[in-house]
Amino acid sequence: MQPDESAGALTPEQMQERLSYNIEKDEVYTGDMPARFLEVFAAILKHSNYRQVIDNYSRVTARCANCAPSCQIYQHTGAPEDVPCYRSHLLIDVYRRHFTLRGVLEGRLRGFEPLTNDSILEMAETYYHCTACRRCTLECPLGIDHGLVTHLARYILSELGLVPRALVISVREQLEGKTGNTSAIPFPAIADTIEFLAEEIEEEKALKVEIPVDQEDRDYIFFPAVSDYIMEADTLMGIATLINAVGDQDKWTIGSQYLDGINYGLFYSDWLLERILRKEIDEAQRLRAKAILIGECGHASRSAKAFIRTYGGGDKAPPVYNIIEYTYRKFKEGAFKLNPDVITEKVTYHDPCNLARTGWIVNEPREILRSFCKNYVEMTPNGSQNLCCGGGGGSVSVDEIRGYRTGVTGVKKAEQLAATGAKFLVAPCANCKKQLKELIQDHDLDMEVVGLHDLIYKAIVLETS
Amino acid sequence: MLDNLLELARGPLLKFSLLLMALGLLRAVLLQIWELGWAWSRAGDHFIPWSLTLRRNLAWLLPWRYLRVLERRLYNFTSFLFHVGVILVPVCLAGHVAIFKESFGISWPQLPQVAADWLTGLTLLAIAGLLFGRMTHRASREMSKPQDWLLPLLCAAPFISGWLAAHPAWCPVDLRAIYLVHLLSAELLLVLVPFSKLVHIVLFWVSQGSTELGWRFVPGSGERVRVTLGKEGQGV
Ligand code: SF4
Repeated sequence: MQPDESAGALTPEQMQERLSYNIEKDEVYTGDMPARFLEVFAAILKHSNYRQVIDNYSRVTARCANCAPSCQIYQHTGAPEDVPCYRSHLLIDVYRRHFTLRGVLEGRLRGFEPLTNDSILEMAETYYHCTACRRCTLECPLGIDHGLVTHLARYILSELGLVPRALVISVREQLEGKTGNTSAIPFPAIADTIEFLAEEIEEEKALKVEIPVDQEDRDYIFFPAVSDYIMEADTLMGIATLINAVGDQDKWTIGSQYLDGINYGLFYSDWLLERILRKEIDEAQRLRAKAILIGECGHASRSAKAFIRTYGGGDKAPPVYNIIEYTYRKFKEGAFKLNPDVITEKVTYHDPCNLARTGWIVNEPREILRSFCKNYVEMTPNGSQNLCCGGGGGSVSVDEIRGYRTGVTGVKKAEQLAATGAKFLVAPCANCKKQLKELIQDHDLDMEVVGLHDLIYKAIVLETS
Repeated sequence: MLDNLLELARGPLLKFSLLLMALGLLRAVLLQIWELGWAWSRAGDHFIPWSLTLRRNLAWLLPWRYLRVLERRLYNFTSFLFHVGVILVPVCLAGHVAIFKESFGISWPQLPQVAADWLTGLTLLAIAGLLFGRMTHRASREMSKPQDWLLPLLCAAPFISGWLAAHPAWCPVDLRAIYLVHLLSAELLLVLVPFSKLVHIVLFWVSQGSTELGWRFVPGSGERVRVTLGKEGQGV
């Protein structure tokens, strides 16, 4: 079928050609895309809380470009299309033109620029360039959160099937697959891994650790990024060792029915965000856990911290902690000791955007690291003004855009890393870790990416009884 | 003829534009509050860190907040100065305060004439600076809409004419014509406030709160969107 461009029909192949990431060609909407886009937008405005905020943005934006220099993509390319406000305007202008009286009248007066396939595909591409790191948000005098606009735009696009296939496949497995997690690891394999980790710890540290599964009435139910079981065993070993060393082994548990903290819904769909979080909530309820403890993972932590209350009944919802908060509390109580002579190499800390941007977890890991790493250095900027690793917003899971991630979005990060001259790069986030490893490879840096608990594992002093 | 026009501009037109601006802003505020309240009532999480949100907003009233981003430092600081002038001069000019006192019986501190003159000069410079900064920054220039150019220009008109009116010795034309330009341009600006980005006069104060509530999702909304789109029961 030769599609007639003017009639607005594009084949999935034609759409794919215009995008740098792979889409699911048989899931993509092939009818009148602009009309469908507006239908989806209208449905979302109707049922959710975006109208008030998008309306506000559509009235006040000043297009001053103050946000531009804060975006690392713009810093690298200098292209107007990479200015956060420009990107946000792609969607805001659609709102203004189609959903406000002002816009409709203006359209009548000045002639209507219809929404086209081109502009939809431009959005589909550029909203996945943005890593939703929200750094630009700090620099908008009018309080525009470009990360929120990116989220909303991706949500609309996802309902048209314009979403990276890599993300969809993971979520499908997590919600509808046999294994119920994004890495598609069957539970027996995870149980084996847990046993293996415990043995490993016993061998290396002469400590008998308990990693409880399906225990009821515990203080914490633990959700790491499930990929940690395969990719970041050291982090999990560090966490298990620490919990056991402080004597909390009977205060935590992992749930066998659901154990994955990853939530790509945060990146592109409220519908999925809610469904995934409900699995977390249900599992916590099944085991009557008092609180939810998330592993070293930025987006898993933010999605739970910010939205468990939304879907779990507000004040009735279980509190959510990131593992660093737990460790820091124990650190302050003096519940464990770290040997300051173990890590002699230069160490630096990368702030995951989802932990640091709002100032949630900034000083805690630094205090812990400084206490036992003699040679600790900061990168600048850091804390709530940190630079994103370049793989935020789910982009790290999209392998076909690695070149873009390490060659464009991550370039400023790579420069920042190189400037520290550190040997250990601590990044307490599964996504950041993957991206930073690739960045280090592609930029030939001599560093090792580790989790915070990997170093704690190396340095923890265990009372040998 | 000129006298009649002047009479019109000074009397009914001024009242009309002030009223229109006030009503327009009131409408914007009430609508926004209503929208925020509605969003809040539907949100699954009712907790909003209001003080933090407000602090984030108010931080932008401090001049040094505008100096953080190097590349736009000059532009932003200029923008800050512009705002100082554009608020202080019209509101606190002795002549304006007197008019208000006469018509409404209320008054507030006034600027000495010298200060007003300096501030006027500063504001005009700032306007030129803002336009220049927009023109020379490629990204900002390409994003700009007509109102981004026209509003600063329109802002300059009452300042220039006002200064001339206050210094008749420098005025090359009939003083009444200058008064007319002063009044009409200011009135046009007032009328445009609620309908242009100038509405940030009131919406600025809630923008951070609006963002905060934007992130307060509605439980079940995703499913309802799917139903509306006829995708009920379909998988991921
Ligand atoms: S959220 Fe981050 S990546 Fe996206 S536009 Fe803002 S600064 Fe750039």
